[in-house]
Amino acid sequence: MQLFRSEEHVRRWCEERGREPGAVFGLDRMWSLADAWYHDRLSEDFRRRTPDEAEALFDSIGLTGDAWRLSR
Amino acid sequence: MDVRLHVMRTLLDTGRAPTVPETAEGLGLDVDEVSGRYRELAESHAIELRPGTLEIWMAHPLSAEPTPFVATVDGRDHFANCIWDGLGTVAMLGGTGSVRTACPDCDDSLQADVVQRELAGEPEGVVHFAIPASRWYDDIGDT
Repeated sequence: MQLFRSEEHVRRWCEERGREPGAVFGLDRMWSLADAWYHDRLSEDFRRRTPDEAEALFDSIGLTGDAWRLSR
Repeated sequence: MDVRLHVMRTLLDTGRAPTVPETAEGLGLDVDEVSGRYRELAESHAIELRPGTLEIWMAHPLSAEPTPFVATVDGRDHFANCIWDGLGTVAMLGGTGSVRTACPDCDDSLQADVVQRELAGEPEGVVHFAIPASRWYDDIGDT
């Protein structure tokens, strides 16, 4: 999960490695996910999400589609 | 304090992950008990161990070794595992800080600043998740 200067840089980097580009989105969405996922990580009450809970979180911030399904 | 929090706090405070004996001594626990807890935490991906060892490689969102993702909060730098974890480090530590990295394609520096849980300005860059979620843990270093 890396940060590129632009989608053009993602495409070029993938091409040079013979890899298919994956999901690409903006930093605003990345921040929403990071905050929701990690804000309580230092709490004694922290509990890891179940796969269903994680998928619901992805959906809630617009990360949808097969790339965001945790079950194979 | 439980083992997971002890690992996180030690990594935040010192920049290095505690060994099993160090955690056992710090928490007054038996070494075998802590070894078992490290394995449980790794199975749930709360932490990642270096392959074939009980040495902590990652304690999400933190990295126990230098990476291209540096989160800075309250003037202190912390290595994170990826851009998600870099921003996650800022979120975990109160929601104000920055993450620096470099574009893997051109190596130009990129930075995202967060103030009071809001992304500041319109930072340059797009996030790329190369690996589908169902395969994130097949090779966590590549993910």
